Amino acid sequence: MNTENRTVPRSVWVLLVAVVGFFAALATLPVPGDAAAPEQEAPEESFAIVDVTLFDGEAFRRNQDVWVEDGRVRRVGAKLRLPEDLPRVDGRGHTLLPGFIDGHVHTFGGTLGDALRFGVTSVLDQFTDSGLLAGARTARDDIARTAEADLFSAGMLATAPGGHGTQFGLRVEPLTGPEGAAAWVRARKAEGSDWIKIVSEDGAAYRGEIPSLERETIAALIAAAHAEGLLAVVHVSDLEAAREAVSLGADGLVHTWFDAALSEEDARSFARTGVFVVPTLSVIMGLFGDSTGLRVLDETDESLVSPMQRQTLSNRFEMPEGPDSEVALENVRRLHAAGVRIVAGTDAPNPGTATGLSMHGELRLLARAGMESHEVLAAATSVAADAFAVPERGRIAEGYIADLVLVRGDVEEDVTRTADIVTIWKDGYPVVRETAATAVSPEIPPAPDGPVVVDFEDGLDSGFGFGWQVTTDAMNGGASTADLTVEEGALVVRGETRTGFAFPWAGAIWFLGDQPMQAVDFSGRSVLRFRTRGDGRSYTVMLFGAGAAATVPPTVPFVAGPEWAVVEIPLESFATADPSIIAALAFVAQAPLGSFAFELDDVEIR
Amino acid sequence: MTTATLARRGRIYVLEARYQFLMVLREPAFAIPTLLFPLMFYLFFGVVMGGRGFSAAAPTYMLATYSVFGVMGPSLFGFGAGLAMERDSGVLLLKRTTPMPAAAYLLAKVGMAFAFGAAVVLGIFLTGAHGAGVVLYRWQWFALSGVVLAGVIPFCALGLAVGAWSKSRAAVAITNLVFLPMAMLSGLWIPITMFPAALQDFANVLPAYHHAQLALKVIAMDGGQATALHVAVLAVQSIAFLIVAAVGFRRAESGAVSIRPGGMS
Repeated sequence: MNTENRTVPRSVWVLLVAVVGFFAALATLPVPGDAAAPEQEAPEESFAIVDVTLFDGEAFRRNQDVWVEDGRVRRVGAKLRLPEDLPRVDGRGHTLLPGFIDGHVHTFGGTLGDALRFGVTSVLDQFTDSGLLAGARTARDDIARTAEADLFSAGMLATAPGGHGTQFGLRVEPLTGPEGAAAWVRARKAEGSDWIKIVSEDGAAYRGEIPSLERETIAALIAAAHAEGLLAVVHVSDLEAAREAVSLGADGLVHTWFDAALSEEDARSFARTGVFVVPTLSVIMGLFGDSTGLRVLDETDESLVSPMQRQTLSNRFEMPEGPDSEVALENVRRLHAAGVRIVAGTDAPNPGTATGLSMHGELRLLARAGMESHEVLAAATSVAADAFAVPERGRIAEGYIADLVLVRGDVEEDVTRTADIVTIWKDGYPVVRETAATAVSPEIPPAPDGPVVVDFEDGLDSGFGFGWQVTTDAMNGGASTADLTVEEGALVVRGETRTGFAFPWAGAIWFLGDQPMQAVDFSGRSVLRFRTRGDGRSYTVMLFGAGAAATVPPTVPFVAGPEWAVVEIPLESFATADPSIIAALAFVAQAPLGSFAFELDDVEIR
Repeated sequence: MTTATLARRGRIYVLEARYQFLMVLREPAFAIPTLLFPLMFYLFFGVVMGGRGFSAAAPTYMLATYSVFGVMGPSLFGFGAGLAMERDSGVLLLKRTTPMPAAAYLLAKVGMAFAFGAAVVLGIFLTGAHGAGVVLYRWQWFALSGVVLAGVIPFCALGLAVGAWSKSRAAVAITNLVFLPMAMLSGLWIPITMFPAALQDFANVLPAYHHAQLALKVIAMDGGQATALHVAVLAVQSIAFLIVAAVGFRRAESGAVSIRPGGMS
């Protein structure tokens, strides 16, 4: 009787425990929001971060308090005596870093916001529209709440007619010889350039040939910059150009090179000149299809990534066979070992990088090149500030601007932790990290009256909105490719859909707003009309509304046959589309996988 | 008297389940591969390769499909191969001479599949959550485990059908012939959308495809077919498998297939 009664309950008990254990284990699994545990809202302007592991710009210090007052650091030390009513942030288990300084970016569109949302509180721009410079100076001198990183910039770059830098459509005044150098530099200083950027690029490293500045012109520009009290930095991408620039007295090189490794002797002689190097490993590794930024993207909450960041990360440069990314890393290793100052910089938003986000990838790449945690972080803070003479930034010290990044965990142990950001303060104010796409959309500008037409007579520049770009599943980790060219006044889209992403696509996207994925109001228009011809495949038009990242775009198929034909698609065929908010139209190939080619012309919304 | 009878009845069911469980635990050739293979596959394809080869969403997508894969194993092998072997070795005949109801045997086998399925699912969930950073809403974790484990029923039915018609020596091989191609062609290993269109269409006849689509629906990564369609196909197929199994058993009883012990010696 006893045994009978025991056997049954014991099995039942085991079963019960197993079931309860199963559900208990399920309940421990991570859910959204776990990562951002409920924390009190970050204080602003005047507050203290207490008992935190501090990286002050040069070294790690444990159990420190940082007292911020009116947007600046008032005191730093262990066990500070703080006012009773000062708001406090518990820093235990966290690391506090100076806001990052990206030593090589290009500024346009929303890049300054993208930078700040990832803890890059200042950017050192190496070529942008010089019209931005005056406003940038006012903004950075103002210690106030802002949604953008501080911009320091070379403004216009110095290059040869038809040389590197002239291909982007930004205003450039090329130099034909050394005689114009002094006037050119004075004009830059008058426009507000913070330093002078010179291009020494004959295309050799890319197995191509493009016009480049002569040695004498580079020498004259460097001398003129120094005469005006400005630094002169040089774009190089091969060892020969690097040697030449350093011998001519360049203050910095804003890329490393990958055609050949420099000898230890070279590295020592570089070090003796005091030159600094911004290796931009992010963009260089991207050339070789090794985008560290994509890895950071994987770890990043989607709501923090802007459509432009996603897009630029997924773009690729075409790279010829031959050069080796390991050479780029080896050069950084040797430069660093010889004592050459290394400044962290990404060259974002060039293909394979994203402004802000890629900075965290760059830090990992510098670590891979043999730099220790404190050296990597210094390259992105104090060394960058010192190299480019950027004041009051790059350190956490008394009187410095309170540009701070609080990250979870111990960064000294693991430099990849920099991406795990809890709070960013800019000028003492906490930064909103979510992208505008997820926030309530601001007012939507109306499209001009009448039909909006693109005829491609003047090349890829559509004349309406942000324009035409490649779009592929690479932004989702796929391997499809596409290439846009304008031939005989029509847009030619060639590419290949490949396995890689579950839903492959590749083609062209027309951003209708002034910024990528910014919506435009097309109320009253009813038809999308375009001419097309191609290889006979079936293609798809996707219509993106506002906040498109969150929703599946409605699609309509069309066929591109051998003869030019007009396709008319009523806008109402795009289920769920609202003509009053259209951000972009994509013309893409999907299944079946394989290469494709089609042409578009006279695309109009009417 | 009824309570006493019921208690005794219940005890028979529990004991049968317990002995089946002990037997399986003492048979590492069954327990280890069914528990570890789906986990290893997920670890390799979903976690290690997933992030780079496919997309950021791959670990989440494959969490669902490899869980389905993980539940198929114990259901098919426990029933298909297990039953055929026990029948041909005479264990089944022996059991049928006892007063134990046949249902106790079948339920014990289903319970076994559930238990192993649950262990695999939990293992894959924990691997995905802690190895690949998969994050789901709490209701999704629970619903996904529920949907995946419900797959035990159609797969047990399929296993029963295979077991009823195959001899013990062939049972494992035949079950593998069903198991592996079906898993592959249903998109459990790599997303179905990467297949040529013809193969994607073909997947519609496979129960594992419909089950996987239901699981993917929980995490909003399915192909967009109706829930009712998947449920209906699974229900109809389950009933069909049970009928096939019943016919197979009847045939065996009538002597067309040997159910005598010692057939091999």
